[in-house]
Amino acid sequence: MAQNDTARKDAVQGRKRSPGASVALHAGLIAASVVSAFPVLWIFLTSLKPAGHETSSKFVDHPTFAAYGDLLSHTEFLTWFGNSVLIAGCTTLVGCFLAATTGYAVSRFRFPGMRPVMWTLLITQMFPVAILIVPLYQLLAKLQLLNQPIGLILTYLTIAVPFSAWTMKGYFDTIPTEIDEAGRIDGLNPFGTFWRLILPLARPGLAVTAFYNFITAWGEVAYATQFMTGTDKMTLSAGMQTFVNQYSENWSMMSTASVLIAIPAAIVFLLVQRHLVAGQTAGSVK
Amino acid sequence: MAAVDTTTGRPGAPAASGDAPARGPRRAAGPPSLRAGRLRLALSKHWYAWTLVAPVVIVIAVLVGYPLVEGIYLSTTNANDQNTEKQIGQFLHIPATYKSVGLGNYTDILFGANSTFWARLGFTVSWTVACVGVSFLIGLALAIMLNRRVRFRAFYRTLLILPWAVPAFVSTFSWRFIMNHDRGFLNHALQALGLPAVDWLNDPTMAQVSVIIVNIWLSFPFVMVAVLGGLQSIPAELYEAAEMDGATAWQKFWYITLPALRPVSSTVILLSTIWTFNMFPVIFLLTNGGPGDSTQLLVTYAYNEAFTGMRQFGESSAWGVIILLILVVFAVFYRRSLRKQGEVW
Amino acid sequence: MRRGIAASALVAALAVTLAACGSSGSSGGSAPAAGASVDPGKVSGSVTYWDTSDAKAEAPTYQAVIADFEKKYPNIKVNYVNVPFGDAQNKVKNAFSTGTDAPDVIRSEVAWTPELAADHYLLPLDGTSALVNPDDYLPNPVAATKYDGKTYAVPQVTDTMALFYNKKMFADAGITNPPKSVDELKADSLAIKQKLGKTGFYLRGDDAYWSLSFLYGEGGDLVDANSKTVTIDNPAGVKAFSLMKDLVDSGAAKTSVTDGWTNMMSDFQSGNVAMMINGPWSLATINSGGGAFTDKSNLGIAVVPAGSAAQAAPQGGQSYAIYAGSKNTAASEVFVQYMSSPEAQTKIFQGTGALPTRKSVWAQPEVADTDEAKFFKDAIDKAHQRPWIPEGGTLFAPLVTEYTAMLSGKESPQTAVKNAGDAYRKNLGWK
Repeated sequence: MAQNDTARKDAVQGRKRSPGASVALHAGLIAASVVSAFPVLWIFLTSLKPAGHETSSKFVDHPTFAAYGDLLSHTEFLTWFGNSVLIAGCTTLVGCFLAATTGYAVSRFRFPGMRPVMWTLLITQMFPVAILIVPLYQLLAKLQLLNQPIGLILTYLTIAVPFSAWTMKGYFDTIPTEIDEAGRIDGLNPFGTFWRLILPLARPGLAVTAFYNFITAWGEVAYATQFMTGTDKMTLSAGMQTFVNQYSENWSMMSTASVLIAIPAAIVFLLVQRHLVAGQTAGSVK
Repeated sequence: MAAVDTTTGRPGAPAASGDAPARGPRRAAGPPSLRAGRLRLALSKHWYAWTLVAPVVIVIAVLVGYPLVEGIYLSTTNANDQNTEKQIGQFLHIPATYKSVGLGNYTDILFGANSTFWARLGFTVSWTVACVGVSFLIGLALAIMLNRRVRFRAFYRTLLILPWAVPAFVSTFSWRFIMNHDRGFLNHALQALGLPAVDWLNDPTMAQVSVIIVNIWLSFPFVMVAVLGGLQSIPAELYEAAEMDGATAWQKFWYITLPALRPVSSTVILLSTIWTFNMFPVIFLLTNGGPGDSTQLLVTYAYNEAFTGMRQFGESSAWGVIILLILVVFAVFYRRSLRKQGEVW
Repeated sequence: MRRGIAASALVAALAVTLAACGSSGSSGGSAPAAGASVDPGKVSGSVTYWDTSDAKAEAPTYQAVIADFEKKYPNIKVNYVNVPFGDAQNKVKNAFSTGTDAPDVIRSEVAWTPELAADHYLLPLDGTSALVNPDDYLPNPVAATKYDGKTYAVPQVTDTMALFYNKKMFADAGITNPPKSVDELKADSLAIKQKLGKTGFYLRGDDAYWSLSFLYGEGGDLVDANSKTVTIDNPAGVKAFSLMKDLVDSGAAKTSVTDGWTNMMSDFQSGNVAMMINGPWSLATINSGGGAFTDKSNLGIAVVPAGSAAQAAPQGGQSYAIYAGSKNTAASEVFVQYMSSPEAQTKIFQGTGALPTRKSVWAQPEVADTDEAKFFKDAIDKAHQRPWIPEGGTLFAPLVTEYTAMLSGKESPQTAVKNAGDAYRKNLGWK
């Protein structure tokens, strides 16, 4: 039904498109796609260039996969990869859940403390992270959470959840309140309404939130470098920083590592992206 | 199908639970007995809302609230690496010996000799306005294009979202290669077209433009996805009705699309502004604030001033509080202007 | 948080006592008592070591030496952690200040040691088994391990900078000897430009460490720690900055204020630039990169060009330091002793090219007969001491800002050094 609705809307909007307009539309999209994909392609091409040719402006220059082999043999790549999957995965799951409950509460209920909650969430985003690191480190040390995945997961939640809750609030706002009422009439309590009726309808919002949570945890460097003190506890992004040395930078290794970090992120994105825009109008039916 | 709701996308739509309105000043509490009664009433009425937000509030209060309060306290002291409390191993404890300096850190930053605060604030504001404004326009335009029925839509969408899908520190490295003066792809392309090479990252003014370009590239997909979600929630009936009334494409965009997007775009703009204002990695990795301090934002400048070598916790906290206050002032004004247009939060 | 003067005096006194007997290993391991006389073979425990060396080029060598150590001392387990250099100093300070998950031994950059020692984080090593035969160490690296009269670290590797040049390009341009002074550097560069159409010299512009040999050459320095004076903006500083600006403006040198390392190495390696100032850490890249140096004999190394007053490059390097709060001081001391032993230093030199710090190692034929050792031995002895003060780490950030501002034409050399000097006076509270 949602698909039909979207299609109808498309039909309405696309009806009068002339061939010229179609060409312009495609030209615009192609140009934008090239610009957005090129730097990502470039880092991949760089990873194939041997030492001494990293900065070559040729697309392909003595291609080799040597850096990939070096990376896998000289670092604890697989351990770090596992840590990153664990930490990013937990952040995503817990983050989505917390963001959804909070977002739903502030979207649906007018309760004392609602505005302070919204403000608090915003304010946490305003204080510069670079300056928060030291007090947060001392706090985690007191709580015995240093060098543990849970410490890093909690930290990432403080970054990801405020934004996600705001986003989820926006998506819940677009779901008609009649659905909540229908749930209540059917005898569901507020949690049941939220879990059984509303959450399934908010799938696109959840997809955005999930992806945002994942990428926040996956690509974060500063906290991970400070809070994880053992080699076997590092995340991928933090571990890769060991290729930037005091005076020099190891570009072929850096770019190779970058590609290997980017691929899982891209896969997660591919998995969630079909939900991203799967017809918000789904919320308006029934 | 027919039940498409025109109130869709309006936050502040009648609340399902019939709770007390959140707007307006809180009523003054009555006598104690009455107050206790109200509390019970409030509890029975709001317990589920409070339960829903409690986990987030607790985690945030501990992990951000505590460091934040400590930071505000430290900002009035001369705390640094040497005079703060230390627990060395299990047995050796060295207590803090820092002293209060009142508002000294703040006056030093704002009005001290050689203070470059106002210059840095100027660039930070221009950077924020340029990045948020342009990436919003690009994201909006692309979302509108992608919302049309167009062949290869999923393919375009996937490519257009890549800048968001790749960790920022990875793509920033790539841009450093691409913008390299002698060996970068951009200059080779320009020269192939017979144009002069551009000193993307070494010229003070050009470097400012370059960091803005890279940040726009990083942030437009987020806007695009958010707006796309918003566009899909606009009921087709509205467009159909407008067409029957003979509205032009421009009129449809101006009178239907834009107003319907307001809830999404107000959140996007608010959050983008906060993030962009405090964007650390892009500047740090691309130019490290240089040449000179030309691309230094308030946050990177503060880091450079107070956090390299011996760390000045007092001074850096004062920077953090100043940045926080600037953003709070922005958010208050922004909210006020939204409220005039009927938004509530 | 603060408990009044009496309490803090008591704790401070306690701190000194504890630090003094920290080396007795009372809290960890099974060593009866420390000191040079203890039999290291009887010590047991585990040592967490934070290394900041390059994960690909250097770390494997250090890990191999650690494996040797564990073979020789099976009762001591080493937990090796490679920490990214960029964040390492803050990470070390964070861990040391809370005592949680802190390492026992760190690789301390020369400029960190005084700061960490001033913060009471480091164990004094005089008379412990970590520092065996102190007279065998070269005096310059040792100077960087002292604070307030005590030794807080054991030199691991040392370095300084030199002029690297492309012999073939010199021959093509008709230059017989590497330039001995900045004036000759300029003249030779212009000759190369005229005859070969290539640039003579690459001045790394994004890291102010590369400007120091010019500053020292004019008799200048960042600060004078003895008299507590800021010296960067005296006439020598102005002259040094003007000289560098002139090298770039006249076309004798090229520079860039971002990606300096990559640009410099690519240009030098591809034969686009005939000279650069660099340290021994660049040898690994040059040797592996091919290009103009596929034939290794094409690389020439000479002392940095002299200015009007002196000829000197900055001294860098790394040391081993032990955490004052370590539970495994006895095992840590044995570890440091082994890692800085002559056989370990020889192996590290052979594996990484990093220069040893012991006289006996420099004397060994497998070290002394190498080209690097032949050149750098002399340079190391002449290297210019940096100010070994706790605030040393704060000196570079303002200098980089002003250096890049000057090179990109945003500021005059006079303004640049004056601004740097003002920043120092504010940060240090000196004259």
